[in-house]
Amino acid sequence: MSKQEKHKILMVSDFFYPNFGGVESHIYYLSQCLIKLGHKVVVMTHAYQNRSGVRYMTGGLKVYYVPWKPFLMQNTLPTFYGTLPIIRTILIQEKISLVHGHQAFSTLCHEALMHARTMGYKVVFTDHSLYGFGDVESIHMNKVLQFTLADVTQAICVSHTSKENTVLRSGLPPEKVFVIPNAVDTAMFKPVPERLSNHEIVIVVISRLVYRKGADLLVEVIPKVCRLHPNVRFIIGGDGPKRVRLEEMREKHSLQDRVGMLGAVPHAKVQSVLITGHIFLNSSLTEAFCIAILEAASCGLLTVSTRVGGVPEVLPDDMVVLAEPDPNDMVQAITKAIHILPQIDPQEMHTRMKTLYSWHDVARRTEIVYDCALRCSSQNLLERLSRYLPCGAWAGKLFCLVMIIDFLFWRLLQLWQPDSNIEVVPDIHLTNHPRDKKSQDSNMYDHLR
Amino acid sequence: MEASIGRRSSPTQPKWRKVAYGGMQPGFQDNHTDESFLEDMIMNASVVKRDLLKVMLDSVSISQYVCIVALVVLVWTYTLRSSFNENSLMLLDIILLGAGFFVFLLTAEMLSFDLLLSYVLKIFFFITGVYFLSPIYHTLTRSISSDSIWALTASLLVLHLFLHNYSGSTVKAPGALENPTFTSNISLNASIVASLLIASRLPSRLHVFAIVLFSLQVFLFAPLVSYCIKKCSFRLHLCFSFGLMAATLFFVYRLHGLLFVLLSGILVFVNLLGPYWLIRIQEYKFEINGPWDEAKLCFNITE
Repeated sequence: MSKQEKHKILMVSDFFYPNFGGVESHIYYLSQCLIKLGHKVVVMTHAYQNRSGVRYMTGGLKVYYVPWKPFLMQNTLPTFYGTLPIIRTILIQEKISLVHGHQAFSTLCHEALMHARTMGYKVVFTDHSLYGFGDVESIHMNKVLQFTLADVTQAICVSHTSKENTVLRSGLPPEKVFVIPNAVDTAMFKPVPERLSNHEIVIVVISRLVYRKGADLLVEVIPKVCRLHPNVRFIIGGDGPKRVRLEEMREKHSLQDRVGMLGAVPHAKVQSVLITGHIFLNSSLTEAFCIAILEAASCGLLTVSTRVGGVPEVLPDDMVVLAEPDPNDMVQAITKAIHILPQIDPQEMHTRMKTLYSWHDVARRTEIVYDCALRCSSQNLLERLSRYLPCGAWAGKLFCLVMIIDFLFWRLLQLWQPDSNIEVVPDIHLTNHPRDKKSQDSNMYDHLR
Repeated sequence: MEASIGRRSSPTQPKWRKVAYGGMQPGFQDNHTDESFLEDMIMNASVVKRDLLKVMLDSVSISQYVCIVALVVLVWTYTLRSSFNENSLMLLDIILLGAGFFVFLLTAEMLSFDLLLSYVLKIFFFITGVYFLSPIYHTLTRSISSDSIWALTASLLVLHLFLHNYSGSTVKAPGALENPTFTSNISLNASIVASLLIASRLPSRLHVFAIVLFSLQVFLFAPLVSYCIKKCSFRLHLCFSFGLMAATLFFVYRLHGLLFVLLSGILVFVNLLGPYWLIRIQEYKFEINGPWDEAKLCFNITE
């Protein structure tokens, strides 16, 4: 389809480089692949310490570090209308055609989507996490999500379980939600050329050591496995509040020589830690999609994981061993993994991962979502307000009020600073890299070194 | 289910699978919603179907406690009006202590001489402590005006009633399984502070000692005694509660007509209207569980 129109996309989220994480790398890689497909991508996020203003990243990716400081867990202070002027300026300056927000937990994303809808732009929202329904935090989060998604053009989820969760939380019709998983940079996560000896089996764990990621399960599982299999060694990378418990477990069972704690591992060094192991252990209690498993599989490690959330959908059954989040079940799964380890060929696994997951494929599928979003009809304010009323007896009217005030504020801004006064940024085309795939991949991973 | 999905343009089209790998599934768009969508969702898994009669019988504990608090307030009112003198109060204290101890002994399962001795010792220390502290309580609120005291006492008692643990007892009975919760501790503290505030308005130290002893006995040990009665026999608990309610209503009627109406209104609401309302709104309960829930650890985390 060579006559496809090229879009100008604004990615908005509180989570972006210099932070490293699932959402951050998703936005980054997706933007890079969309740029390679010929679209223009601009990212908007809040300022990180001294990093404020406009920055350019690889491939001409323009990033606006808006000078708002984060106030709670990397989120900007929600001021409802405070971000309207800057978002309006960015949208007009860059001639944006579509706004793509990421992560339900990001206040900047919700505000940007709200203002973009008021100004008549099409919006797409990607949800990266799973939430419950029972506790106070989730109930409020879901209400905010209902508000944002009442009027979103299209939504994307990273796994089928995440789609079910999002549809239940927000009341969106399922046809509006697309499932496009994350992917992994297979050029960066390569296995070692020569296989490790199976004499001593190394199990690698790399995760934040918090309750949610199952650090307590690790504390129960590791001593059992060490007792059962004398030739097994553990390497634990990552830091967090539960690190103390793991250290205590090491002392209590005298496993200092069999359990190595590396502390926080910077993103660039993750591959070098993974390739020292045979098996990757993931013990999270909830996971919408687990990129860590993909990275491990790309490095040729066999994965053992808990069967939670979207994890069963991520890898084919012969590349992962699933267990219930129960210590005995996990020990059995690890034993099974050790038995099937000799049949695993890391290079073959890596090659297979290249066919199963690719960011270019994700970008192409996202492009289809964008085309679909732009084909949807525009609606005026009254039609849009009718979508907010069903959100709840009181909430619906409150949301309508919020949108009406937003609309009035926007009109006021248009009078005060007309659209024609905002200077439009000219399109800059950087020299294209040669089109062969090998150097495309290697260019993508060069910047992270 | 297998037959209906794959029959599109070509008969050899693969079935849609709930997997994320391998790119876009051939023949299906990314927003394809399969018939197996939401089939793992479980609704209202842990919702208990309640029976009206049982809820009403359980609510008797609440109204029994409300009556006990009403009786305490009654005693305070009479003492503040100087209708009771300190000797009758002391007599009341001793009778209550004896009766409570008697009931506790009768219904206690695990009893040994050591345990008994430890209880007697603790009560002795308690009484001695209160006696020596009563001069302090006597002059505690001398500089505060009376209406602030009444207002504060009323709010503290309301707080006490709201946060009280009606199913168990804050003072742990031997053999009780649960530890007292945070809110039940707050309610106990509120009631103690209320009794001290009232005590400080009394004329002499002996008055103060008697009333503080009385209030603390009731607030600390009445839940324990009623818990013991309930554990022993439910019928006895019901008889005791109804008797208490009748006595309270009688005494409050003698004090003030409006308060009588208020108290009977509260009792009717707690015993009759409350359970009916609870069961009516249970129909709207919608609990959702599914594979997206955070896994619960099946073991306790020992620090």
